[in-house]
Amino acid sequence: MNFFFLIKEGIVSLRRARLTALISVITICLSLTLIGVFLLAGQNVKDIFVRFYKQVEIEVFLEPSLSDRQIKDLKKKIEDGPQVSEVKYISRQQALEEFQKTFGEDLSNVLSENPLPASFRIVLKPSYSAPSVVEDFAEKTRKLAGVQEVLYQKEIITFIQKYFSLTILFIGFLAIILFIIITILVFNTIRLTIHARTDIIQIMRLVGATNFFIKSPFIIEGIIQGIFGGFLAWGLLSLLSKFVQSIIYPELVVASHLYLLTIGLGIAFGWIGSYLSVNKYLRY
Amino acid sequence: MIEFFNVSVKSKSKYILKDIRFKINKGEFIYLIGKTGAGKTTLLRLIYMDLFPTTGNALVDKYSSSNIKMRQIPYLRRKVGVIFQDFKLLPDRNVYENVAFALRVIGAGRREIKSRVLSVLTHVGLNHKRYEMTASLSGGEKQRVAIARALINEPFILLADEPTGNLDPEASRDIVQLLERINKSGTAVCMATHNYELIRLAPHRTVVLENGLVRRDIDPQNLHKL
Repeated sequence: MNFFFLIKEGIVSLRRARLTALISVITICLSLTLIGVFLLAGQNVKDIFVRFYKQVEIEVFLEPSLSDRQIKDLKKKIEDGPQVSEVKYISRQQALEEFQKTFGEDLSNVLSENPLPASFRIVLKPSYSAPSVVEDFAEKTRKLAGVQEVLYQKEIITFIQKYFSLTILFIGFLAIILFIIITILVFNTIRLTIHARTDIIQIMRLVGATNFFIKSPFIIEGIIQGIFGGFLAWGLLSLLSKFVQSIIYPELVVASHLYLLTIGLGIAFGWIGSYLSVNKYLRY
Repeated sequence: MIEFFNVSVKSKSKYILKDIRFKINKGEFIYLIGKTGAGKTTLLRLIYMDLFPTTGNALVDKYSSSNIKMRQIPYLRRKVGVIFQDFKLLPDRNVYENVAFALRVIGAGRREIKSRVLSVLTHVGLNHKRYEMTASLSGGEKQRVAIARALINEPFILLADEPTGNLDPEASRDIVQLLERINKSGTAVCMATHNYELIRLAPHRTVVLENGLVRRDIDPQNLHKL
């Protein structure tokens, strides 16, 4: 088996059909860029929601009679829960200072004693953010010894949860539709490039080339197109995200695996597309 | 070597070939004649198994159309050379590469390719034009390249489907003479044509096809009855 012939033939075919190959590469590049933009948008929308969740705190007010040791033990107990992302202790003094900062009024002028209790401010992990889960957590925490009251913004959590689910569903639906359209588009472009060279397939069949030998140069060609398309999409996505970061949305997060995914998808598109297309012409 | 046992080929509701019983012996030269649509090309396609009988059985070398496996077909095709009226050459490659292509796609080594291509190009009288692009060749020369490619794997039979259809009379005579030379070296030749002039010039066994049936099978001695 002359492996180098197959590689060479794949590269030579690309050179011979420059225009169709170029169209194919551009189609793959634009399709991958579109998928990349989508993934980027999805990731960042998710991040925005996670940031919202982090702002939602559950406030646990403590009995005034608790000793430092008991507070420490209680904090440990809450932190050990699988739902908990962060627990912050606010002493009575800190609560007083915060009150003063927020309302601009010094309570010690009015009252002889600090009326504010010490508390824990708890942030839950985003995966435990469903309203029912938060309610359940609040209920269980309320029953812990030393806990006086548990408060949280139930309406905000319900609101975020509702829109988060809707947005994710919407993005997922669009992503599936987009992926199907792009797959058909890319496969058809590759099919056209192969269709333009049915003569060479016919000659190969005639002189007794095996199916593997006939397919290989086309598949190699498809993979090369996919790699080129993938790298171009990488570049385009990188430019786009830099533009968005500098002009529109500086918080834009670009996961590094997005670029690798682009190349991987490019190769997969090129490979599967050319495999299926050349198969169509391979009856004996 | 090649034998058809009651072979019929049906397309939709129409018979293209009907109940063909026919044999080509080793090293034989045979003409297939008949009008357009008589079934000449179909018969040739049955031999290189580009098509299978609707009923009956075609036996080609050790392969039978009724039980050949798909993966065996490329190996059969390496033993059957085929040339066409439109040459089917790769226009973007030179003469050498067109012929070498048939060896490359079956995985032959570089040295073997070089020696065999040069030898077969000498045989068809085109060694001096091996670096020319096929687009710049005359029709007769293009057909010689196609013949060289068909012969490169040393087939036991060369199938020629109207090989002189696009050629002037002189080039046609040259091609038939070349086919006769190839035949003399032991390769059977089966040529579909409707050029009666050529048959008279180089008489061989002639099978007349008409509406998918073998009407006559004439020995060279009786060709005057044609």
